[in-house]
Amino acid sequence: MSNSKNGKGLKGKDLITIGIFSAIYFVINFAFMLLGGIHPVLWMLMPGFIAVFAGIPFMLMAAKVQKPGAVFLMGLITALIYFVTGQFTLVILISMASACVLAEVIRSMAKYDSFKGNSTAYVIFSLGMTGSPLPIWLFKADFLAQITEQGMPADYVSAVEALSSNAMLVVLFVAPIIGGIIGAFIAKGLFKKHFVKAGIV
Amino acid sequence: MGAPGKKYMLKFDPRTELLFLVLANVVAFTQHSLWVEITWVVLLLLLIIACGCTKAAGRLALAFGICLFLQYGIFPIGPKILASSFTILVSYARRAFPCLIVGTLIIQKTSVKELMVALRECHIPQGLIIPLSVTIRYFPALKEEAGYIRDAMKLRDIHGIQKIEYLLVPVMISATTTAEELSAAAVTRGVENPAHKTSMVEMKFGVQDFLCLAFGVVFCFISVTAG
Repeated sequence: MSNSKNGKGLKGKDLITIGIFSAIYFVINFAFMLLGGIHPVLWMLMPGFIAVFAGIPFMLMAAKVQKPGAVFLMGLITALIYFVTGQFTLVILISMASACVLAEVIRSMAKYDSFKGNSTAYVIFSLGMTGSPLPIWLFKADFLAQITEQGMPADYVSAVEALSSNAMLVVLFVAPIIGGIIGAFIAKGLFKKHFVKAGIV
Repeated sequence: MGAPGKKYMLKFDPRTELLFLVLANVVAFTQHSLWVEITWVVLLLLLIIACGCTKAAGRLALAFGICLFLQYGIFPIGPKILASSFTILVSYARRAFPCLIVGTLIIQKTSVKELMVALRECHIPQGLIIPLSVTIRYFPALKEEAGYIRDAMKLRDIHGIQKIEYLLVPVMISATTTAEELSAAAVTRGVENPAHKTSMVEMKFGVQDFLCLAFGVVFCFISVTAG
């Protein structure tokens, strides 16, 4: 294995690093979640937006903690905090869990230290957030009935209905892939420009 | 308040509070009737008032009232653009209220230390407890940090897209140094010690815990079946 530095398991330092970068990831994630409340289009593009901006904390964490479990813990902590604030659904739980597991598999295949491997893992990790607007397509009728019942205005409901086309479903999944790639390259650029010079990676 | 504190305050076991958080979530997800929601919020507010969070309860009650007023008083008659852009925010905020109330109780009346002991008692692995408590504690530090950076940016007159880079990079660098310092401190204190950790905090379920939990479960059950 490439991480011969200090063993395979997550140590105290790794856990603390994961905790801190998860906090930053969560803040970025939450900001776009709020933005998604303004219009359904923003909500559907949300996973993509998050992917563009959250690349830096993710890639920095990936560079710092080159061990299995780091990505999974980051996803788990995000999920737990969302659960506590009551904004979590079963669909997003499943999508995030499977994205995290897949990302872990890719990282372990890429031996944790390659940019390609980490950025692929990041793209997959970003796809996990698609579970948030996914119920629109999965249970279209139920979902529309539910948000009408919750007191959403007719305008909003019809906007959601109009947007729930197959084309938008493709956009929903393509956005985090493109966003994730952009995010990973932004992170790479910043690494080169700042973090390597500062000696932190 | 000149008189010595003779008011009896309820103190719950952190595990009860965590279970209440789960209950608050269940009710928030399953009920569809407005009255069930209002009753639940009022009951939870009374609960945290009994625990001594009077000020916070007042603020939350006011915010909840504003949300209801906006949704049922202003949006139906106000301009359409207002309704369509803010309804979803308001109704999501409303749904989060039960959790927010219990969350306030936990944050104000339970230290992270007690919470960690409670989680350990629930057999959650150390590998999750440590990063989770670091995350929760880092939010306030992050806010403070961002404030300083924003002040510095104002001085140097930085605008537009540059702002994102000039905010993110210092945050990342300070996060890395914090992680390093914190780990040094934590490792010195034996965070990596595999032995079972002991604690000064005593965890015991009391009468009030059982009563409140029983009540919460019953309410939850009624709201799921009837609501």
